[in-house]
Amino acid sequence: MTARRRWGHLVGIALVLAWTLPPFLYLVMLSIKPERILIERSQVFFWPTFERYRDFIASGLGLPIWNSLVTSTLGSAGTLLLGGLAALTFSFLEFRGKTLLFLVILIPRMFPPITTLIPIQLMLKTLGLIDTRLALIILFTGFEIPLAIWVLRTFLDEIPRELTESAALDGASLPAIIARIILPLSGPGMLAAFILSFIFNWNEFLFPLIVTSFNARTGAVAMMSFTAGYKKLQWGSLATLGVVMTIPVILFVLAFRGSLIRGFTAGALKG
Amino acid sequence: MGMSWATLGRSRMYFWLLTAPAVLYIVVWRLAPALYTVWLSLTQYNIVYDALPRWNHFENFGRILRDGGLRGSLSLSVQFAVIATAAEVLIGLAVALFLDTDPPGRNLLLGIFLLPMIMAPVVVGTVWSTLFDRTVGPIPYLFQVLRGPDIQWLATPATAMLALLLADAWEWAPLVALLLFAALQVLPREQFEAARVDGAAGWQLFRRITLPQIAGMIIVAAGLRVMDAFLELDKVFIMTGGGPGTSTQFISMFVYKQAFQFYELGYASAVITVVLAALALAYAMYLRGYGRALRPADSR
Repeated sequence: MTARRRWGHLVGIALVLAWTLPPFLYLVMLSIKPERILIERSQVFFWPTFERYRDFIASGLGLPIWNSLVTSTLGSAGTLLLGGLAALTFSFLEFRGKTLLFLVILIPRMFPPITTLIPIQLMLKTLGLIDTRLALIILFTGFEIPLAIWVLRTFLDEIPRELTESAALDGASLPAIIARIILPLSGPGMLAAFILSFIFNWNEFLFPLIVTSFNARTGAVAMMSFTAGYKKLQWGSLATLGVVMTIPVILFVLAFRGSLIRGFTAGALKG
Repeated sequence: MGMSWATLGRSRMYFWLLTAPAVLYIVVWRLAPALYTVWLSLTQYNIVYDALPRWNHFENFGRILRDGGLRGSLSLSVQFAVIATAAEVLIGLAVALFLDTDPPGRNLLLGIFLLPMIMAPVVVGTVWSTLFDRTVGPIPYLFQVLRGPDIQWLATPATAMLALLLADAWEWAPLVALLLFAALQVLPREQFEAARVDGAAGWQLFRRITLPQIAGMIIVAAGLRVMDAFLELDKVFIMTGGGPGTSTQFISMFVYKQAFQFYELGYASAVITVVLAALALAYAMYLRGYGRALRPADSR
């Protein structure tokens, strides 16, 4: 019985891995396959070349990745700041209309991006922000505020109220309570919210596509311009860009499996 | 739960204000644009010809009714959403059930399985474009070696659709698995054990005990996926661009082309408004209908 169970487990694991990994590993393989045998598909074993990674920046792909990094990081920081402040209120304060206000914040998350695409492009054009990183930072800050509030609130709710109450009775001011008691205790929640919104920003495609052209275009948009060109497709470089785009995601998954799984479950159900 | 009025005193007022930046931000960058889209849907606004949007007597909605291209896109989106979701629920359910048997390295396995859903959709699109490409892809090569037909996978309507479905299943079956696994983990074991003692096994155990208890989550997960797949855009962009012809031009691609290739912002907005209103209505009815269908099963 247990032997059969063990075999079942092995077969199951093999099936799951066989479904998930080969498609991505093929991209990794293409990225290190020498150019002259790139289309020789019978050659699966070869001496790998890392030229494409070495020449990554020289081939003009450094800028989009840098743009992605800067805008995703600053956008997530903005999300965390605005979402964090709001989460404090929602967690610690009872007031009339709280549920209503919470709904007003959560509902826009259910609008698919395409609903706001046209007005946002017009707005950014009016403001003269098309093809700037600032435009993306502004947009990214807004996208995940509802998710950040949701995630942070669940963490803040776990902070024992006696701590804040007694500090308040001792005459500590609100900013002092936040800085000395709440902030140190909400590290894991902030980290989870930051990583989630970073990943969503990093992966975002549609908005960067319509509000950037060259200077501020992100990694995702750069991938698109590979496939849309009329030149012969540079499969090797495209594969390399795809792998580079996935590295942060893989690192986050490996490092923060637990909180990511928790966050994605909550995000999907509330999104 | 909340802090008392006495301890907060005057700072209660300021405390409340902490939500202001977030609310303001969401109103300006999310709610207002969505409402502006609704307003645009009532106007003629082609940014090449019209300086400003002007009201056009609901003409856009008449045009929606007559637009054969739109109807084609809608029907493609429905097909895509339904088939992709069905595949994702089947695969996701199978993986969730397997993970629930507690195989060694379960959490790592789940993490790996989730990878396609967490990586950028454009990378997912690129992965599958590569796999189906005739110069570098292994799938056409396999057909060649096995002397199968020589298919232009992404340039033939039926196979382009198939490729998009496969890519979508690869990307999103993990979400279904994640949600169902979470649901399976909290099921009470007593009923399950009791049924097993009574001699139920395997398929029967699953159908009579497990399935009814996770049916609610299956419905929620399927609903989420249908809504999302219906509006699929990123992978279409990368893999087919809506082609060949219009054979994978799903509704989002249709809207995108109206807005950013033909500059018909008014008409594009009208299509978005109508489609989303219909989608919201369908979703509400779906959840209600299933809510009703589920209740007798629960009380049994």
